[in-house]
Amino acid sequence: MQGSDAYRIRPSHQDKFKPAIVKECIREIMREQLSGVQYDPENVQELSKSLGDCIKDKVKTLGLDRYKLVVQVVIGEQRGQGVMMSLKCLWDADIDNYAEDVFKNDSLFCLVAVFGSYYY
Amino acid sequence: MEEFQNGNESSFNSEEADNIVKECIESVVGKDDYSQNQVNKWTSGIVERCISQLIKLGKPFKYIVTCAVMQKTGAGLHTANSCYWDTAMDGSCTVRWESRTMYCVVSVFAVSIA
Repeated sequence: MQGSDAYRIRPSHQDKFKPAIVKECIREIMREQLSGVQYDPENVQELSKSLGDCIKDKVKTLGLDRYKLVVQVVIGEQRGQGVMMSLKCLWDADIDNYAEDVFKNDSLFCLVAVFGSYYY
Repeated sequence: MEEFQNGNESSFNSEEADNIVKECIESVVGKDDYSQNQVNKWTSGIVERCISQLIKLGKPFKYIVTCAVMQKTGAGLHTANSCYWDTAMDGSCTVRWESRTMYCVVSVFAVSIA
């Protein structure tokens, strides 16, 4: 993290974390990497890690300087089971935000959430 | 004016968070079987309780808590995290809990602000 612009305690409007843009980004990568993929217990671990790293690298290029990023990927097999996920955050609601997207096909479902937290 | 920064104190203590999360899960769903009607209440109850307990630690962190509850049907579930942050100060902790009828996975991410 560079220390320049340290007098800034909040980002300008253009530099804020924009959930819609990040969501598009996530959707594109998920579609690319998961279309036509079957749930395979051997590969899915590697797949989820690589998806997470891929998405993190892509979001870094969006120019969200001074934002710390957390990317969470959840991949599960589709067997008719019920799943419920919820989240709660303690942060600065004005400048911190998150984007999420879900991808489903016949054999698996995948949820990705990207959280952006501003570093003062 | 000298400022003493004890490295251990200002970085995230994942063991402490682990214990807090386990206690929260036990208290919300410890004795119940999976129920479609209740699951919404459980997940929000768990995250709510986790955050309140983490706040009580009084540390300079922003917290993100996610909770997934899944019925046991033999299906597989994988979670992965990728983070771009200050590795010295920030940290995460993931707790997997299971009962006879369901799995519960809670992740806590702590991002420092100081």
